[in-house]
Amino acid sequence: MLDLALFLILLTIGYFAGRATEHRHYKSILLREKASLHLPTVTSKMLPEVDQIAKSFLVTGSCVISIDYFKRILAVLRNIIGGRMTAYETLIDRARREAILRMKYEALGSHIIVNTRVETASIFSSASQNGIGSVEVFAYGTAIKLKKKL
Amino acid sequence: MKYTPKLLTKNVNTSTTHPLKEFAILTGGILGALILVYVLLGFVLEWVVVPHIPQSVERSLGELFLGNYAVEDSPERQYLQGILDRLVEHEPSQTLDYQLHVEESPMVNAMALPGGHIVLYRGLLDRVESENELAMILGHELGHFAERHHLIGLGRGLVLLVLSATLLGDQSGITQFLQDSLATVESRFSQRQEQQVDEFGLHLLQKTYQHVAGATDFFERIQKEDPEGPLAYFFASHPSPANRVDFLNELISSAHYPMGEKTSLDLPE
Ligand SMILES: [Zn+2]
Repeated sequence: MLDLALFLILLTIGYFAGRATEHRHYKSILLREKASLHLPTVTSKMLPEVDQIAKSFLVTGSCVISIDYFKRILAVLRNIIGGRMTAYETLIDRARREAILRMKYEALGSHIIVNTRVETASIFSSASQNGIGSVEVFAYGTAIKLKKKL
Repeated sequence: MKYTPKLLTKNVNTSTTHPLKEFAILTGGILGALILVYVLLGFVLEWVVVPHIPQSVERSLGELFLGNYAVEDSPERQYLQGILDRLVEHEPSQTLDYQLHVEESPMVNAMALPGGHIVLYRGLLDRVESENELAMILGHELGHFAERHHLIGLGRGLVLLVLSATLLGDQSGITQFLQDSLATVESRFSQRQEQQVDEFGLHLLQKTYQHVAGATDFFERIQKEDPEGPLAYFFASHPSPANRVDFLNELISSAHYPMGEKTSLDLPE
């Protein structure tokens, strides 16, 4: 009985805390995306003419986001019957956008980021035994500062 | 190539389904399916598997359980066994070697274990006043044997264990949730079973003593007791005593069973 009560309490805390965090995070992501819209971030490997480049350097951004208890339970249930793991979608989406934003922040002062790559890794220690379940997204690219603006 | 800055307005990477809705659908669906499987398997056990379990298997199962209830052959046990034996003589489907055990525990409970073993708890013995009401309780347990409820219960427990362990692993919270839900289903079954065997016990009482005096005494007495104390288990696993008294009285009047002289219970020291 105590087990069940603890479960329901964790579930409720997980749900409300997770929702609040997610909501706040998305608000901040949208704001910062708007603010950094002026910096082109592309996946193309095409570089500007070499003689136009004043400076080029590696920029990276990484973000680790954890699931909440509610999402974990949702995922366990979803695991049984299969289908879209909607509980994890926002998680990955947030991590990816946050990582790119951080990378852009590191590229402040440059004119473009080329060859942007995004990689992901799951960080977890036996999530089935109430361990940690989180995802890391790592974004990197080459920031280029031009002698004169494009 | 021209670069067009684009702000995400609609997010195609996340779904719009409300997580609570998804949770409700998933738990409802999975829980519903599990309950269905559990109930179906329960019926399969009851009608297909259990009737075909040979007595030899049941006996060896019983030995597994009996380790906890060592037989110390006291005069008291023999006296109680005598009452049981008298009932068994009138039990039409008697096939097992029925053995009575007394467990020194304040709990008010009696159990039918596989292999024909009946365990009486001290707490129950202390509350019994006449041989007739004890015979009613023993008759009830014999009914569980006749209907093979002890095996069905065992099988159900096994099904539940396997279902929750394989599907949910060690997510203890969900497993607990599932077990509690299925326990509700289970108690529906057991209420039906308990009534069935109360009826069995009453008929056996009449056949053995030619009257049914004392049939409701025990239930009437414990009705007034605190349902939280040593009786907690009894109340949790059986229909409320008041209901049983009503049910038995109805049966007695419809079958026109006579009331005779009660035999007092003289437990040897
Ligand atoms: Zn019973």
